[in-house]
Amino acid sequence: MSYRTRTSWHKWINPLNLAVLAVVLFIVLPIYWLVISSFKTPVNVGSFPPQYFPNPVSFANYGSAFSHYGFGKYFVNSLTVTVLSTGLVLVIGSLAGYALARLPMRGKAPLLVTLLVISVFPEIAVVSPLYLLMNQIGWLNTYQALIVPYTAFNLPFAIWIMRNYFLGIPKEMEETSRIDGASAIRTYWSIILPQARPGIFTAGVFVFTACWTEFLMALTLDNSNGFRTIPVGIALFGSPNVVPYGTIFAASVIAVIPVGTLVFVFRKFVVSGLTAGAVKG
Amino acid sequence: MAVVANELPKVRRSPTNTKIKRDTHSKRLARIGWAFSTPALLFVALVTIFPIGFSLALSLSNVSVTGNGFSLQGFTFSNYYELLNSSTWRYAMEFTVFYTIATVLVELILGTAIALILERLTKGRGPMMALLLLPWSMITVISAELWQYIYEGTYGVLQSMFSAVGLGSPVFLGSPTPAVVSMMVADIWKTTPFVAVIVVAGLVMLPSEVFEAAAVDGASSWTTFWRITFPLLRPTIAIAVLFRILQAFGLFDLPFVLTGGGPGTSTTSLALLSYKVMFQNIDYGPGAAVAVSATLLVIVGSLLFLRVFKAQVGKEELQ
Repeated sequence: MSYRTRTSWHKWINPLNLAVLAVVLFIVLPIYWLVISSFKTPVNVGSFPPQYFPNPVSFANYGSAFSHYGFGKYFVNSLTVTVLSTGLVLVIGSLAGYALARLPMRGKAPLLVTLLVISVFPEIAVVSPLYLLMNQIGWLNTYQALIVPYTAFNLPFAIWIMRNYFLGIPKEMEETSRIDGASAIRTYWSIILPQARPGIFTAGVFVFTACWTEFLMALTLDNSNGFRTIPVGIALFGSPNVVPYGTIFAASVIAVIPVGTLVFVFRKFVVSGLTAGAVKG
Repeated sequence: MAVVANELPKVRRSPTNTKIKRDTHSKRLARIGWAFSTPALLFVALVTIFPIGFSLALSLSNVSVTGNGFSLQGFTFSNYYELLNSSTWRYAMEFTVFYTIATVLVELILGTAIALILERLTKGRGPMMALLLLPWSMITVISAELWQYIYEGTYGVLQSMFSAVGLGSPVFLGSPTPAVVSMMVADIWKTTPFVAVIVVAGLVMLPSEVFEAAAVDGASSWTTFWRITFPLLRPTIAIAVLFRILQAFGLFDLPFVLTGGGPGTSTTSLALLSYKVMFQNIDYGPGAAVAVSATLLVIVGSLLFLRVFKAQVGKEELQ
């Protein structure tokens, strides 16, 4: 019996598995450090030599993230901005994606190329004019100050992804529906959209992740305490002299969970989106 | 639509009528198409194209900040003149380009290696892909804070590890060159998985017959990789690299949190410089000029890259 377990254990040691192990460690070790540091007591976060396992395990950082640093508010802000922007992108973008995939419009090709070019523009190019404009119309430190630019910045890529899925839907289905006398909106809603569900999921996951992690615009346009999103809140935790790492990591663990879960559950869509953007785009 | 359906029998009778009907029909559809896409196009134009134009105007004007706003007074090149004479801007430009090339190169090599490893896995590739997506989906600010903690000079875990193996107490973020390298490591950790995921997906789609033929011919795995895998993968790799280069040209979050652009200005990227000039010095004109230079870098980068890439693809097709 013991002999058998030993051979099966040895069987696992081969170059491939060792390489896989190295990859896993490369990715996991920093994440391990993030998670366990969030459970150290505030004093032990700064102990030297560092604790490789928290002793004692403490939830103090989680408490202070919410009670002292107002993390709950940042979480609500991030969720509001991210959900509304993603919803808007999917509604507006899927209509445009369908039109650009299927309807006989003139100038489709230049439009698509323009969208692609815009999607690679750096945020820094628009952030200062947006700041000045929003200052003029009194939009700084509001939810729409982020929702509008997030929607615009994520539309081009989302349109491209969804268009690729719309192209794959058999044309006959639409034509049948049209001959049956359905309106364009109705055809789109009850025939096209259900077919394109994977494409919409994919675009949704990408837009959600992009909005959830965005920093530069959130930092410049929504900098007052009441409207900070998670990245801005975490970056500005503490004072220049004291960086409360324990609290930062507790907040980080909570911030990573929504997107981490989304990406894990929809990983197939994410991978297909990366390659759809990559191979076809 | 109902009208069209009712008139279908009539349409069939006369060929000329069919053509007219089809034309009006497709015109109708085109109108619907524009109606469907106008909201999206308006959004994009208002929030991206219009501000970029505005940015260009700012960079070419004498901007004076007034009590609660700003005013533009006349056309000038002085902002760009200031830029070209500023050693800080020149350094930021060189740093951004050098940093981008170096990190993307390492990411490409490491990412391809990881992809080749994962492609051989028969079991558990799905969970591994999910694991790879974890750093990719992480908020950059968080990974920057994490690496700052790891590099910390007095109680950081790397300090402890280096002294445990007798390497003394190295400096990570405290002096210029180590700070640049440390930032690259943090960046490589976060974005290599992105490259790996794209390359794995590309590998999976390659035709298996070619590899079977190579195996029959007795090609070594090294030869197979350079003669078959890599050339076939080139389009996939090209797109991954393009994405990464354009992203890295806009480098902002990581230096903002990890180093603050320092020590000195050693890790100040173009985007960070533009932000500092604009929002810390409240100098809109020069700040806009820096932003325009960063945008130009992105445009030139993508054009150059696409040209090289197209040339390569073209060559292969000729052979």
